Amino acid sequence: YPTRPVDKDKAEAELVVNIKKATNPDESAPKQKHVRKCIVYTWDYHSSISFWTGLRVQPILADEVQTFKALITVHKVLQEGHPVTIKEAHGQTGWLETCARAVGHDTARGYGTLIRTYVQFLLAKLRFHRLRPEFNGLFEYEEYVTLKGIDDPNEGYETISDLMGLQDQIDSFQRMVFAHFRNSSSNECRISALVPLVKESWGIYRFITSMLRAMHRRTNDIEALEPLRQRYSAQHYALRKFYYECSNLKYLTGLINVPKLGQEPPNLLDNGTA
Amino acid sequence: MSLQHFGKGALRTAKNYTKGYSHTQTKVRDATCNEPWPPSGKIMHELAQLSYNQEDFIEIMEILDKRLNDKGKNWKHVFKSLTVLDYLLHSGSENVILYCKENLYIIKTLREFQYIDEEGRDQGANVRQKAKDIVNLLQDDSRLREQRKSRAVMRERMSRGRSGYDL
Repeated sequence: YPTRPVDKDKAEAELVVNIKKATNPDESAPKQKHVRKCIVYTWDYHSSISFWTGLRVQPILADEVQTFKALITVHKVLQEGHPVTIKEAHGQTGWLETCARAVGHDTARGYGTLIRTYVQFLLAKLRFHRLRPEFNGLFEYEEYVTLKGIDDPNEGYETISDLMGLQDQIDSFQRMVFAHFRNSSSNECRISALVPLVKESWGIYRFITSMLRAMHRRTNDIEALEPLRQRYSAQHYALRKFYYECSNLKYLTGLINVPKLGQEPPNLLDNGTA
Repeated sequence: MSLQHFGKGALRTAKNYTKGYSHTQTKVRDATCNEPWPPSGKIMHELAQLSYNQEDFIEIMEILDKRLNDKGKNWKHVFKSLTVLDYLLHSGSENVILYCKENLYIIKTLREFQYIDEEGRDQGANVRQKAKDIVNLLQDDSRLREQRKSRAVMRERMSRGRSGYDL
């Protein structure tokens, strides 16, 4: 039990209401206050089982907006919930696949493709975390994980490649979200999916940067890292563009600080910080 | 002062009484109330002193926790609780730091706090910024230590100055 004053029965009952409200049929962002309660629940009780159960019993799959909002909620809870959430999520991949299957191709409000791509991304994210459980949901930079990776250069190379794979998936998903904006609406629901993507891509970028720097310090074979440097540079420009486009979305900049990247990728051979 | 504010204050006093809040809890509730002015330095100092007593410490955190998890409409509760918490981290007992670290997610998740009032003003912005500042401080032990030390030195110097003046 947490050190803060809580009441488990009350928390369980409230969780159901919070999930229901976060995934209601309004074409808007999942309300942060409800998502927050889901995140806090996983930390209070070191468990996400009730969260997943709560999602399953909600009749959300019949409605594309509700399904999309459920995926945003899941993504945020994976990112910021207690680490056990990611472990327990490995048992929920079937439900995620059901979300992708349940939605038709030509949907009225155009969320079909977004839902399928979102599910693909979340499954890739879970695969990454299963292989590398030392990373947290937001890839928040921690020195020791970086150092752990570079002790074995092959292992480090693999990790960076996999992180870059995830970064590419974020990039193609975000471009798809932008491509699905509609002039007739505020696009709030779609934009709200960009919030966790900005945070996650920034975490990955910072991690890759410091890890590549550390690898360059340790190795005598700078040449061997050339493919990673090239890919890093390409991702830097893509990410810079992504953040630039996000910085023009007033709704989004009101919620989070969108990072601003320099014109050119940082020099990996010096010891600066990302 | 408007009658409306007077009414609210009276209601809070009544609630403190009927709900059986202790003296310390009443202090926290007053410091983090819905009135438009910030908690006074005097009341925050008193709370910081009280936090060195285990029983008072628990009572303080209990109320702060409630206030921090309040709804958007009561954003002042949330914002002022963060203000008080920030003060306690600088001048209160070490237990406050331990407690906050253990329950960091409560503050972390406030970094996306949202509330737009009836006039369309983004009242959540203050909460988001304050939550960010506190999270950063809690994740930087050496800075926190340094700030606690300089705060203590400053208070020492000021109280010495005051007693000198009294003579």
